[in-house]
Amino acid sequence: MSSAVIETRNLSKFYGKSRGIENINLEVSEGEIFGFIGPNGAGKSTTIRILMNLIFPSGGNASILGMDVLKETKAIKHRIGYIPSDANAYSFMTVSEFLNYCIRFYRVPEGEKRILELAGQFDLDLSRKVAELSLGNRKKVSIVQSLLHSPELLILDEPTTGLDPLMQSVFFELLRSENRKGMTIFFSSHILGEVQEFCKRVAIIKEGMIIKTEDIDTLRKRQLKKVSVEFSLPVDKETLDITGIENLIQGPGNTISCMYSGMINDLVGFLSGKNISNLMIEEPSLDEIFMHFYK
Amino acid sequence: MNSNLFLKEMQKNALSLGLWMAIISLLIILTMSVFRTFMDNQAQVMGMLSLIPKGALQFKGISNFNTLWSVLGFYAVNNVIYMMLLGSIFAVVLSSNILLREEYNKTAEYLLTRPLTRSEIFFSKLAALFMNVFLLNLFTAFVGLICIEVVKNGPFSFGSFMVLSVYTLLLNLLFGAVGLFMSTLVKRPRPITTFAIGIVLTLYFIQTLSKITESISKLGYLSPFRYVNMDVVSTTYRLEFPNLVYFIGISVVLTGVSLFMYRRRDIYT
Repeated sequence: MSSAVIETRNLSKFYGKSRGIENINLEVSEGEIFGFIGPNGAGKSTTIRILMNLIFPSGGNASILGMDVLKETKAIKHRIGYIPSDANAYSFMTVSEFLNYCIRFYRVPEGEKRILELAGQFDLDLSRKVAELSLGNRKKVSIVQSLLHSPELLILDEPTTGLDPLMQSVFFELLRSENRKGMTIFFSSHILGEVQEFCKRVAIIKEGMIIKTEDIDTLRKRQLKKVSVEFSLPVDKETLDITGIENLIQGPGNTISCMYSGMINDLVGFLSGKNISNLMIEEPSLDEIFMHFYK
Repeated sequence: MNSNLFLKEMQKNALSLGLWMAIISLLIILTMSVFRTFMDNQAQVMGMLSLIPKGALQFKGISNFNTLWSVLGFYAVNNVIYMMLLGSIFAVVLSSNILLREEYNKTAEYLLTRPLTRSEIFFSKLAALFMNVFLLNLFTAFVGLICIEVVKNGPFSFGSFMVLSVYTLLLNLLFGAVGLFMSTLVKRPRPITTFAIGIVLTLYFIQTLSKITESISKLGYLSPFRYVNMDVVSTTYRLEFPNLVYFIGISVVLTGVSLFMYRRRDIYT
């Protein structure tokens, strides 16, 4: 038994010889808003599907709230909510019928009141048929169904797709409010901005493997810097031949930009022998950090 | 089993069940309505039947002309085919989609993330499948019974009627199990309705062709239709133990294997 809300150990999934995910190790603590970021096809949804017991792992194990996802899936699902990336509710039902159908799987006192409360927050028309809803409205239905039973853990797979900026704002505010009440949130996305804004800690997944798990702030404060050097005379970008320099770009004029992961002293020492007219060392954006990990 | 899921499945299939009940009942009523005329013109009918090759009559299920001159025999020969063939098509179409449609309609992510085990989902859907097939059989048999009572020309054996109805139900349930099993074999979720209907029709024609073609008579043993005893006018007509074992055994085995595979199936949407 672990105190982590989500814990995976060497979790792997292979499709024949092709790799879905390999040796995924995650640990999400209680009350945390944890980002899970990577491009399409990196293995985010595969990991989530294993956690939700939709697919079975080829190796390793995973637990949620201290319970094995394979052996105690029913008990786990009583206590967690899930927003899938595809929001396809039963098209023959009205929104109200669908939400009432969902809530009857749980023991929710005053369920009807809870439905009205959440539907109101998202301006959701309960009388409309699911089949008639736009993607954005179907997404709202998906969000509401995930919160009906006030879960301890919410797993979100690309939750903001289709939501307009206003609704995204309502959604994030609601999540923050639920988080303040103690809900743990596992947030999978390929949109860096929302992860940066919303999450405290992040795991970056690439080609089925976790390449970095870190606090968002720490990630930003790593030694990785964005460097722009303006030389007095025209130079080749190979002039910046020092260990730790990457992504060299010849900019306008005599400017060379790059990412630098090393000691600033070494960089300044190296440049002191050159004829430079300007030097800028900046914190890279999360996008740039992300691209650094992905190149 | 989960009652919420079971009731939703029943609701989801209510319209389809109603339509199948109506169509099969209408066919039974139309066919039974000519029984009196048929009986009043026995001589002409016999004359006509004598011109038809024996094989063609066997294809229709008429192996003994005496069968036709009793209301139950007439009902069995002319109507049970609707209940057996159409009922089996209903069962196989429903069962082949009952689990799979959650995947190709992309609703599985909602259903499988509720606090339910795979077994609970399976048994709730199985119960809904059984109930649909049972209600279809109950209703159409009831319509058949009323028709028999209205047009009968003498007493008939209610016991034999019940035996025939139970055979029909068992056949339909077996095809329900076949459809369920087929759906668990599908790797990429998509509707398999056409294929499922094809299986029923193929097995039906294997049975009928095996009856009229000596060289392939043994092939008929492959068809579940072979194991339905249609000789309703026989005084010894009853549920035969080997046939019961066949229907129940195959249905239970296929259902068990389907459950085993569903519990281990990777669900994609």
